[in-house]
Amino acid sequence: MALALEWRKIRRTGIWPAFIGGSLLAAAVPVINMAFRWENYVGQESSPLSVLLLANWPVMAMFNLFLVLAGACALYHLEYADGAIGHMRALPLWEGGLFFGKLSLIAFLCLPALAVEAAAVAFCSAHWFGHTDLLSLLQSFGFSFVMLLPSLLCSLLAAEIFKNIWTALGVGVICIFMAGMLPEKGLLFSLFPFSLPLRIWTQLSAESARCLLEAAAVESGLLAAAELLLLKIRRWFL
Amino acid sequence: MTPIIETTELTKSYDGFFAVSDLNLHIPQGVVYGFLGPNGAGKSTTMKMLLGLTRPTSGSFTIDGMQYPKERLPILKKVASLIEAPAFYGNLTGEENLEIIRRILDLPRSAVSEALEITGLSPYKGRTVKKYSLGMKQRLGLAQALIGKPPILLLDEPTNGLDPAGIHEIRELIRSLPQRYACTVLVCSHLLAEVERMAGWVGILNHGRLLFEGTLEQLREDAAAQGYPTDNLEDTFLALINQDNQRGGR
Amino acid sequence: MSFLSLLHIELLKLRRSKIGFILLAAAFFLWLPATFNVQIYFDRTELGIPPEQNFFIQGFLGLSWFMFPASMVICTVLLMQLERGERGLFKMLSLPVNAAKLCLAKFFILLALAVFMLLFSAAAYCASAALIGANRQYPFVLPLSYVLSRAGILLLAALPMLTFFWLLSVCIPSPLFSAGIGLFSIVPAVLAMNTKIWYLYPMCYPFYIMTAEYGRLADGISTWQVSPFPLLPVAILFSAACLTISCLRFGKSETN
Repeated sequence: MALALEWRKIRRTGIWPAFIGGSLLAAAVPVINMAFRWENYVGQESSPLSVLLLANWPVMAMFNLFLVLAGACALYHLEYADGAIGHMRALPLWEGGLFFGKLSLIAFLCLPALAVEAAAVAFCSAHWFGHTDLLSLLQSFGFSFVMLLPSLLCSLLAAEIFKNIWTALGVGVICIFMAGMLPEKGLLFSLFPFSLPLRIWTQLSAESARCLLEAAAVESGLLAAAELLLLKIRRWFL
Repeated sequence: MTPIIETTELTKSYDGFFAVSDLNLHIPQGVVYGFLGPNGAGKSTTMKMLLGLTRPTSGSFTIDGMQYPKERLPILKKVASLIEAPAFYGNLTGEENLEIIRRILDLPRSAVSEALEITGLSPYKGRTVKKYSLGMKQRLGLAQALIGKPPILLLDEPTNGLDPAGIHEIRELIRSLPQRYACTVLVCSHLLAEVERMAGWVGILNHGRLLFEGTLEQLREDAAAQGYPTDNLEDTFLALINQDNQRGGR
Repeated sequence: MSFLSLLHIELLKLRRSKIGFILLAAAFFLWLPATFNVQIYFDRTELGIPPEQNFFIQGFLGLSWFMFPASMVICTVLLMQLERGERGLFKMLSLPVNAAKLCLAKFFILLALAVFMLLFSAAAYCASAALIGANRQYPFVLPLSYVLSRAGILLLAALPMLTFFWLLSVCIPSPLFSAGIGLFSIVPAVLAMNTKIWYLYPMCYPFYIMTAEYGRLADGISTWQVSPFPLLPVAILFSAACLTISCLRFGKSETN
């Protein structure tokens, strides 16, 4: 219900074509990189997927983070720009539905976006390395999808809290920058929500991957709880 | 009387739809001119063309003898406006919004407080505009138009969002403007009763075409001659519009 | 109306916009991770670069690659949203102001915000370097003239990029799309600067110039040279085209 409602709201806004366009740009990264510098990558000992992701994922993940941030800001900007949120809050709807509807919508839009990127990686693997490990590819992109969720929740929270779109964007951009600069070692730094999407499944041991998946699930749960708390707090200040 | 605003075959069309069609307006100097028409008749589009906010598809107009588009900036120095809804910077206070216009128009500092005073906004001048009520925003839009006592005023539905006392106050203010500031006022409205209380001249627009232009007395005489009801000008207006709609409207 | 008066009016419009806080926060967070991990600059001696130089240049690399361009994209969103949010631009266009002049004045405000951002970053650098220096009993702060000159070079290198971001915000009425395209244009800078035709992608100029500076200071990083040709003609043509189109298109979506 909430997802269908949010889907209706984004009609004629160009948000879903933007997600596809953004994912096409991210997908172009490995293709262009391989087309120009294939000799740097072909012939390495690691698996093709591992080589491709190691070479391209930091840039692709950055695109994904921007997509999620821009998507979150866009959805709340639609509410705030012409005062629609005031009307939505006056309707007999659970207020949290607005947030979780938007969360589901962006998560849903991320799926085809990641699929396009996975297809590009599969193409590069088949074209330059001669074969594609589809199962590992699916596992890797499934892992990346889960890793995106905490940053998505954070972006949505910022977009909901700050009515000014530039403040929400600013907070998100600072977080994305921090994610790029924080060291990978150290438990606290590696669990920063915006750092998780930069993690590469093929570079992790099974144990580390499981820990990160659990961490992403716990962070998502905590951020969802923060949203519920925010709704309660806001009521006190009405 | 020499018209201060004169349009010649002024037309605006969007993809084959004529928002304004061959409009010939003659607005005399120093009057309140009521520009009447139902919603979507083309009143706001006409005003936007007069301000250079939308380009005419064909036709021309002069304001105080100046030609658009050649003399757009000199025209805008003489014309102040409130179009569709008040436009402002929500992060600034009412006073700061007026200060911006004061600087652009190069007016004395006292112009801001005068405009605030005349529109009754002085007590709220320090409040950011995003916290203003609808009526206060409308008053600010009027203050933005009245600042510096412009010789020509274009007001689109100036009493929108005001309470009855506010409507009365603003109506009296508009009526007094030609005497107070020696200015010409073009007021858009879809309410004849509203215009009747302010204006001496009216232009009636329907589907982008001018159905009538003249004084209120001339409107009554014309209506009587054509067999329309004249007891109440609201009925005269409705009869004119209905008749035009039945004829096809364009 | 004089251009200076117009600039003053444009500065007035920034009141209560909180942009100062965002730029300040960006500058603060720019140096925060490096300050916490300062040991790596003392450990990495194989590059032949002193730790204080390494600390500074790594921060400025982060600034030129991401933080500065992204902050500028947000500034363009802010500048146009302040105008479009409550139809302020509509009012401005009905006043006797030349639209192209107004557009240029707003671009100059963007430049002023860029200067603030770089000054905040330089100040945050000095504060964090002084803190590290005091903590480690080591002269860690570089001369202010060096820091400011690098900030100045970064600003000059960023001018074509800023005109592009400004063009996006003027021509695309949706703030999200203009910001989205702006942010997306930053990411491929890393790839573009590794090509021979890097000068055709102005979004990579700041990062390229800082990487060239890094290469000058450290061994084995890069041997990139910044020569005025063909960089300058391309940059000037690109900037002039962006600004001209911006001035011609300014306010068009409000008036039609």
